[in-house]
Amino acid sequence: MKWVLIIIMFLGCVGLGWFFSMKYKKREAFFSSLIMFAQKLDVEINFSRERLKKLIETMDEKSKKNLFGIDKNFLTYLDGSSELTHEALFKNIQFLKSEEKETIFLFFKSLGRTDVLSQSKEIANFSKRFDENLATCANENKKYGSLCFKLGIIAGLFVLVILI
Amino acid sequence: MLEGILPEQIFKPLAHKVGFSRINEIRIRADKPILISSLGQKFFLSELGACKELNRAVFADKSMIEEIIFRASECSIYSVNEQIKKGYIVTKEGVRIGLAGNVIEENGDLKTMTSFSSVNIRIPHEVKNCSLKAFSSIVKESGVLNTLIISPPGAGKTTFLRDLVWQISERNLAYNILVLDERGELNIGKGLGLFSDVISFSSKKLGFENGIRSLAPNLIITDELGEWEDMEAVRYASNSGVNIIASVHSDSIESFVRKLAFKEILDEKIFKRFVVLSMREGPGTLEGIYDENFSRLMRW
Repeated sequence: MKWVLIIIMFLGCVGLGWFFSMKYKKREAFFSSLIMFAQKLDVEINFSRERLKKLIETMDEKSKKNLFGIDKNFLTYLDGSSELTHEALFKNIQFLKSEEKETIFLFFKSLGRTDVLSQSKEIANFSKRFDENLATCANENKKYGSLCFKLGIIAGLFVLVILI
Repeated sequence: MLEGILPEQIFKPLAHKVGFSRINEIRIRADKPILISSLGQKFFLSELGACKELNRAVFADKSMIEEIIFRASECSIYSVNEQIKKGYIVTKEGVRIGLAGNVIEENGDLKTMTSFSSVNIRIPHEVKNCSLKAFSSIVKESGVLNTLIISPPGAGKTTFLRDLVWQISERNLAYNILVLDERGELNIGKGLGLFSDVISFSSKKLGFENGIRSLAPNLIITDELGEWEDMEAVRYASNSGVNIIASVHSDSIESFVRKLAFKEILDEKIFKRFVVLSMREGPGTLEGIYDENFSRLMRW
């Protein structure tokens, strides 16, 4: 019984470390996907000038893979089923900082509101900011992501030693 | 109609209290009362429907107008910029929304329009048989005569043309009809009958040339001639043996013949019939039918 408890405690600590490290991974993957999404939109708006809703719906899954549903939330707004608010757009997304949310919100709010040239410039401007976000996230993931996981393992070992 | 385009506070009274079938035009101006035009009369829009009292009127604001344009473009203004440059957007239901705002020019070319300050929404109607009175003057045993429908804006030219396409097509006169729908207003619902082809959002020049080459029509029907290059397109169709029925803005036959752009084709007598419509007894009032010498054939 004691050994079962020790193993559970150890796995719990490692799991906790992994959980905190995932936040950094998710952030990096999200911004990487968002940049790809913005670039695809830019190309399609310039090339086909197709309606925004159709562009997003028909975009390949790879470009939307790690957007964590933000594209679907935006489509709900385009359908007229909801207002474009922070709550509606970032439903189920907890890992972004408030200033990052504000930039992303402004990006989605700017979509479809101008002519091709201005839209393209606007997407390029936002892409630059997302690039900066991605660089920060990659750095954080490198620093803190692995640190959290390692700390989890160390904490687990510590608990293990104490209990033994 | 217009659901999802108009804000709730405008859509609800229009749809439930007034009824879109009775509305011809809605004018929405920033910081001004919303005006609706119904059967030739103007009303303010209130929360309870149409009214004549200014103090009950619903006022529009700039954000409302921006949102209407955004929604009318299916949330993609970049995709309708060519229409915006011409001063309007046409929704997928064929509703034309006229725009006013700041025009952006670059090197003498119109680039786009921004800071929209008002919209004029024209509700299309299908009035079955509205062209029947003029039908026998336009369509003969030998074929269809080249005809111009003349009327001031909002007097029913497009509705008349749409019904005329349907009447000719339904009677199956072995006519291949090409509808050149430059503004996307003619082709709504099933109003164009069984034997018509439609080219949408093309200029007259391109549409006439491509349509004649690829679809071999007997008759081309198009809305709102006016530019010099439209006259070239008309002449090209006429020389190709294709009949034309078109419309033009003018408030009477007298002011129409003074239009310089039409002088040459009138001298060449390309058009054999002129049908004049007015708003005298509501949109679509038939004022008269004239021949190529401007002699009145019929009077009402």
